[in-house]
Amino acid sequence: MPVYEGVYGLIAEFNTPTELVNATKAAHNAGYRRMECYTPYPVEEAAEALHFHKTGVPLMCLLGGIMGLITGYGMEIWVNVWGYPLNIAGRPLFSWPAFVIPGYEWTILFAGLSAAFGMLAQNGLPQLYHPLFNAANFRDGATTDKFFLCLEAHDPKFSVTETRVFLEGFSPVSVVEVDH
Amino acid sequence: MTHGNSGHHGPNGPKQLPSVLATPAVVGAWRTRAAIVAVVFGLLSLVFLGSHEGRNHLLRAYLMGYMTCFNFCGGALAFLMVQYVSGGKWGQILRRPLEAMTRTWWLLVVLFLPVLFLMKHLYVWAAFPNKSALLNAYHQGLITHEQQLTAASKLTMLSPTSAVVEFFIVFAFMGLVITLLNRWSVQRDADPQAGTVASFDKWRVRFENLSGPSILLYVILMSMFVIVFVKSLDVTWYSSVYGLQFLVAQGYAVLALGILTLILLSRYEPMKTMFRTTEQHDMGKLAFAFVMLNIYLTFAEFLIIWSGNLPDEIPWYLHRIHGGWWYICTADVICHWVIPFCILLSRDIKRSKSKMIWVTAFMIFARFIDMFWLIEPNFNDAAGNLHLAGNFGILAYVTVPIAVVAVWVFFYLTELMKRPLINVNDPHTEELLEPEHAH
Repeated sequence: MPVYEGVYGLIAEFNTPTELVNATKAAHNAGYRRMECYTPYPVEEAAEALHFHKTGVPLMCLLGGIMGLITGYGMEIWVNVWGYPLNIAGRPLFSWPAFVIPGYEWTILFAGLSAAFGMLAQNGLPQLYHPLFNAANFRDGATTDKFFLCLEAHDPKFSVTETRVFLEGFSPVSVVEVDH
Repeated sequence: MTHGNSGHHGPNGPKQLPSVLATPAVVGAWRTRAAIVAVVFGLLSLVFLGSHEGRNHLLRAYLMGYMTCFNFCGGALAFLMVQYVSGGKWGQILRRPLEAMTRTWWLLVVLFLPVLFLMKHLYVWAAFPNKSALLNAYHQGLITHEQQLTAASKLTMLSPTSAVVEFFIVFAFMGLVITLLNRWSVQRDADPQAGTVASFDKWRVRFENLSGPSILLYVILMSMFVIVFVKSLDVTWYSSVYGLQFLVAQGYAVLALGILTLILLSRYEPMKTMFRTTEQHDMGKLAFAFVMLNIYLTFAEFLIIWSGNLPDEIPWYLHRIHGGWWYICTADVICHWVIPFCILLSRDIKRSKSKMIWVTAFMIFARFIDMFWLIEPNFNDAAGNLHLAGNFGILAYVTVPIAVVAVWVFFYLTELMKRPLINVNDPHTEELLEPEHAH
């Protein structure tokens, strides 16, 4: 694993979501791409302003559901037709109506687990360390009443001096340099 | 930007309530189209008067068209009451279309008269209305022994007199609740204290108190109505989930029609401003739930009867699976469940206006297949024997329901034009004007 050193990025602190969203839109227009918003509750405009990508969770959920359906239904067919055939009230061995409910349950189970684990696999959780917690104002405000925009240092357009001037143009409460 | 600007004005601030809330004039044109469809398909249906089997099918198809309209009206009443009890912005935006659907109840009373007068052609219990008539019919070989015995034991509920009484009880109750809900809705907007918390609370409590108990009564009475006039087409069959299946089918149909109405209206003011993607998405999710609940009940009933495999119950399904009915049965499952289910899984489609027009129209179409599959196999000439040769009267199931539903749509749109499309004196109105994702 590479050792990260130096500046992680610059975070600007705002008091209202509107200021955050406006600053984010302006940063996107100015050409910044490696950036993130941090808000105490979901602000969908912030996600829109970031041009947040669509996640793969719905697809993983769907694929998991289909896998569950095939597994559950296939298992029922295998058990009843080949594995352990039983004559139940003279019904055919392949009694498809009876297999629907286990197939359905497996669909739900696999879909639910795929959604949950697929989400974890894609968003990088659990994460034990994040550089932003080095900033004292972030630790205090990010989960209560402050709205943060972080422009990250690995953006090609990032410059410690110019980006700071750019962020200060939005009259934030503060702009803090965050180290790794 | 200063700290003083809290974001409640400007491009992200709330929208203005449109100055004109009346139904757009284009609804008049839709109404004309409905009238044309009704006349054309009504005239086409007259062809079937020519033959005996044509006349028989005409009446059965009429019952199917009637029940489709009953589902719209009754389902709208159920939803109207549920949204008053549950609250929520989806209910507020859907309220006036729902009210318009319920106000067609008098039309349903009128449209039911042919069924009442001609019921002896539809129901065994009406053709042979007492024990001696049933016994005679059995001796003449007109009905089976089982039909004779079950019809005789159900005479309290299933006889011409009981049917008329039951019909009046159901519609008297529906008429009373519909009249009150609709009258109060207008009075609520005209309240001199409109816009105050006191006024909001007064009306909310009043609507809740009427709606709560009425939901329960409606479900019981509606179950009775569909048991007497649809299920009893086969007097020998029992099902305890029949009423609930119809209730879910009503929700299915009304949500489809409600979403369709709102999307079409949203091309014009005031719905252009008021109908947000958020509420459309919510209603799409609710429709998805009804699609799922519908197949859940339908399949659960089938599975239980299939498992039991009892001679009392299983013929009902055999009549609907054998002899060509397999195609209808499969089409019912695919159109009524598989297709809407797969499509409504998608978030993007639920939020798309242009796509949801087609989805909801398809759902309404699927309701027709379902009703056809429920009604036609009850009759001896069709049970387990779906055929077209020498049986062209069956095509009445295409023309008559379209004509009847078009007549209903004509009156639905007429009622829709009578009121402003937004119930103003409701705290949700203000919320509907806020941006989609409120800060």
